[in-house]
Amino acid sequence: MRRVAVTGLGVIAPLGDSVDRLFSGLLEGRSSVRRLAPFLCERLTSPIGAPVEFDGAAHFPAPRLKLLDRVSQLALVAAGQAVSAAGLDFASEDRARCGVCVGTSLGGAATTDEGYHILYAERTERVKPYSVIAAMHNAAAAWLAIDNGLAGPNLTFSTACSSSSVAIGEAARRIRYGEADVMLAGGAEAPLTYGVLRAWEALRTIATEDPREPSASCRPFSRNRSGLVLGEGAAFVVLEEFERAQRRGAPIRAELAGYGLSTDHDHITRPTEAGQAAAMRAALASANLPPQAIGYVNAHGTGTVQNDAVETAAIKEVLDAKSRQLPVSSTKSMHGHLLGAAGALEFVISVIALERGIAPPTMHLDAPDPLCDLDYCAGEPRRGLSLEAVMSNSFAFGGTNAVLIARRPQVSSP
Amino acid sequence: MTTLETLQDLLIAENGLTREQLTPEAELTALGIDSLGFVDLLFQIEDRFGIEIPGDNPNDLVRIGDVVTYIDSLRALQRERSADAERLSAGM
Repeated sequence: MRRVAVTGLGVIAPLGDSVDRLFSGLLEGRSSVRRLAPFLCERLTSPIGAPVEFDGAAHFPAPRLKLLDRVSQLALVAAGQAVSAAGLDFASEDRARCGVCVGTSLGGAATTDEGYHILYAERTERVKPYSVIAAMHNAAAAWLAIDNGLAGPNLTFSTACSSSSVAIGEAARRIRYGEADVMLAGGAEAPLTYGVLRAWEALRTIATEDPREPSASCRPFSRNRSGLVLGEGAAFVVLEEFERAQRRGAPIRAELAGYGLSTDHDHITRPTEAGQAAAMRAALASANLPPQAIGYVNAHGTGTVQNDAVETAAIKEVLDAKSRQLPVSSTKSMHGHLLGAAGALEFVISVIALERGIAPPTMHLDAPDPLCDLDYCAGEPRRGLSLEAVMSNSFAFGGTNAVLIARRPQVSSP
Repeated sequence: MTTLETLQDLLIAENGLTREQLTPEAELTALGIDSLGFVDLLFQIEDRFGIEIPGDNPNDLVRIGDVVTYIDSLRALQRERSADAERLSAGM
């Protein structure tokens, strides 16, 4: 079976508009979680989020910008970084062998929000003509194909919080099974609109704002954790057939070795240890690696009471004795939960952790929970690790569990 | 301000075009206004000129000058209609 190389990474994320700035922010333990705009503070009980400092006007001319919801703007810029980092020139590629997979949970949420505001609040009929094409879930994937001239498979996955792990995993399968040679894969989300924030708040899943320090509101694995904090952004990778990447001298950052799926099928939101463990086992099997090979886990670690205890139990079940000495962290404590973009962002973080032998910390974990008893790198990154393979977990409302494994590239001699 | 000037202002602001490009002879497609852009243009025209463009898309507008003529004809028609309506409501 063909192997899959990761040759380019790109992010527009809370903490940074480049892969290096993002990772530095994580190692410093900085949090992007903050109080949101004043009008949101007036209307929300817990008006916190992890926004990205990003102005689409700096990247797109005005006529183009009208067509692009913020989610597509973020996707296009992050994916552009990944393509240039990979040193790819699609003009010299067989474009029919190059495709796109994008994960997003909400698509063009701001466009939808604005359209409803015009109809129901302003009580006019002046919905903008581009609303449909800006809001549709596959807009980002479509623009990536148009801008780069990619004629291969163009797919969008929407499995809530695992959307972009699924997108990356499914893109890798296209390459593995010979249906494509290059895939641009990742996720994007722009959920910081009043409508979306209020809906999540209504579900009582949003963390209570820390009254002293809003940036410390997301506390994965801590006994006093109270929920997740929504973040926005996009993360993309370039995946290529391994030998082809090697032949062209591409910068091979990692091998995407494993991808595992499972489904929690007995409840729409409640995670299960069995389901999460099954996805981790499936990823190990697909990577053909034993549990001992995993040297770092980037946990789903949402900061909700339910997920963190269940995920801890699932990691222990699958990685067994190894889990006691294994660095595990939830970087969501700093960049928030990017929903459909979370898996891609955390996979990018995992690849850099693998390359540099550094596990980023879990921040704000100051009250240990007896049910969460792994080594979470609380407050400090773990440096000097000799990592062979790393795992990135993504679990979702709706039950789609997706796990990705990256391993150090095994470069064969010519 | 003439209809052409108002239309030019609109396209300068919304589409990043220059006044020099926006001559009456200039073709919409050459200005980068394709079928999708044309739908947006109709929306902007409705807002800017305070007119309502009927449901059937006008498909014979090729040049900027054609758009100007079309806007003027709609404005004249809608002025007539509102004058009729006023006469009716005044019982004339």
